[in-house]
Amino acid sequence: MAVARAERLTFAYPGALRPSLCDVSLTIEAGERVLLLGPSGSGKSTLLRAFAGLVPHFHGGRFAGRVEVGGLDTRTSRPAALAGTVATVFQNPEEQVVMTRVAAEVAFGLENLGVEPSSIAARAREALAAVGAQDLAERRTFELSAGELQRVCLASALALEPSVLLLDEPTSQLDPAAADAFLERACGGRAAVVLAEQRAELPLDLCDRVVFLEAGRIVLDAPRDEALAWLGAERSSWLSATNSVAAGAFEHERGALVCRATRVSLAFGERLAVDRADLELRRGEVVALTGPNGSGKTTLAKLAAGLLEPDAGEIVRTGRVSYLAQDPGRYVVCERADQEVALGVDGDLDRARAALAAVGLAGFEDRHPRDLSTGERERLALAAVLVTAPDVLILDEPTRGVDPVRKEQLAALIRGGRARRATLVVTHDRLFAEHVADRELSFHDGALVPGHRRGTRSLAMDG
Amino acid sequence: MSATAGLAALAALAAAALAAERHLTVAVLALLLLAVCARAPRWPVYVAGALIPAGFLLLVSPVVGNVGYDELWQGPRVPVLGELDVTSEELELAALQALRLAAVGLAFAAYAVLLDHDRLVQAARFARRSVLAVALATRLVPTLERDARGYAEALRGRGVYVDGVRGRATLLAPLAAGALERALNLAEAMEARGYGGAQPTRLPRTPWTPRDRALVGAAAGLTILAFLWL
Repeated sequence: MAVARAERLTFAYPGALRPSLCDVSLTIEAGERVLLLGPSGSGKSTLLRAFAGLVPHFHGGRFAGRVEVGGLDTRTSRPAALAGTVATVFQNPEEQVVMTRVAAEVAFGLENLGVEPSSIAARAREALAAVGAQDLAERRTFELSAGELQRVCLASALALEPSVLLLDEPTSQLDPAAADAFLERACGGRAAVVLAEQRAELPLDLCDRVVFLEAGRIVLDAPRDEALAWLGAERSSWLSATNSVAAGAFEHERGALVCRATRVSLAFGERLAVDRADLELRRGEVVALTGPNGSGKTTLAKLAAGLLEPDAGEIVRTGRVSYLAQDPGRYVVCERADQEVALGVDGDLDRARAALAAVGLAGFEDRHPRDLSTGERERLALAAVLVTAPDVLILDEPTRGVDPVRKEQLAALIRGGRARRATLVVTHDRLFAEHVADRELSFHDGALVPGHRRGTRSLAMDG
Repeated sequence: MSATAGLAALAALAAAALAAERHLTVAVLALLLLAVCARAPRWPVYVAGALIPAGFLLLVSPVVGNVGYDELWQGPRVPVLGELDVTSEELELAALQALRLAAVGLAFAAYAVLLDHDRLVQAARFARRSVLAVALATRLVPTLERDARGYAEALRGRGVYVDGVRGRATLLAPLAAGALERALNLAEAMEARGYGGAQPTRLPRTPWTPRDRALVGAAAGLTILAFLWL
């Protein structure tokens, strides 16, 4: 039995030159797990919003065709009327949290649905237990890690006991173990699940069916095994991201030492974030820093970049250090993209435009950074740090929300410029780390241990 | 302590500070509120936010005011404002107004960072949507502070340092635009979770303890006392 159906759906956002969805027809059966794949801007999020009724009610725009959820036509039923039948978990957990405490947050949707007051607390507790977050009930939402907060958002959705659960890249901020656990919990219930993802390797095992979108059109709608064969033949990067980086590209010279951290420690209040960590970065090498959420990766990266001062230990740097923050939304200070990039080079617009071109944003110079899509903002942020021609380049989760094709391009960009600098890539994307880095350092139980290392031709003397 | 009782106490302290006529009384109330604020994490940021406008008022008000005869300083004549001077009466009045403003600012800071806004929303007997809107707007204060730190850090990460009033002022536009973007995303998430539905219910309210009742009684008493005698 179908629980949601889109028939010849075409939709364009207000002011958009071309539609985000073109003639899309898709039926979701009860209990089915459907994986939505497709490059950034292909219409995955828009399709999920159409099933939630947010398109067109919240966003406006031009809507043609028909979408039905639980027998209700979304053109005549507002999202509030669909809530309960359908529940959504969005990509950024911080921007969907309404209340201050976890228990109240999970109860919020139940109150809106008019659930009997005496049963709200019990249902909220059950939903938290279902995602393994019962211990978080009395915590404040702004104190939680990204992984914890995303579990709370899932609990808030599951508490509504929906027939259709819509998940919009919910694991983009989670490490592989947390992402696996999240997806297993999300897919463990009776609800049909429609999951949009950029990291296909995680949910492919759990799904029944794969839908691949490109430029707003469905180019594949097939059962999992058939889809795997199609992806292998037609879109291979989705099965093995960054596989196009040639093995020979890892032969490199390790140059002079440009950053050394010796037994550095830093605590935030009672919590020890980094404990006596050692780190060496040499010109010419790409080092991946991996580990689970909350293990101290970002803190160590910020210490190396000079954005934080250690409580103990010593850090020595040679030359300029540039740091790319996790959130590309932090690179929107100026009114134009070229001015934004030029901030790091004293307003030199020629260098800024060259940097924009290097990341594939030629022609975007006069665009407002806030008018760019998420993927474009990621590249703008990258240009804003690359333009500074640093001796040490530190990239904090540069693949968050980036599709596999862009990941390949990013890997090539990092590898292509590695001779000029030392590069530290902080990532929980193990596959990307393996493909882009010469060596890997990983946090395990609070200690920093060496991971994989590729062959090097020679070792230079310390600088 | 119930959030409603806490809100009543803070409102009473702010009202008493506005009503009281003696400098010492208002100063004691402001110090009491400062001690309350000091229980919050990162309290210096919020206290600074409350005290800086009060300091500005203390500095500017005597210069542009026109009260009293005991002249302490005479300045130039400027267009629109006229002759600038400072009298002892203007200083006294400015000190009282600055203390009042500091007390109100500190009461708001304590409300923003110490009270459980969920419980306030839960306790609202009417205009629940408005109470929720106020709670969300209040939560924006620490969010903006976090955003400002994030922007400054991203700039430092590419060698640009945000210093001084002018440097910080450059962050105002992105902060405002970011707040609007965040508000839209939140509104979308709320609508997806049924906000605006026909017949919402609410979690049962937490009952008041004798301590809460005593606090509200004391708050009412303090307000009356301030209006009549302080």
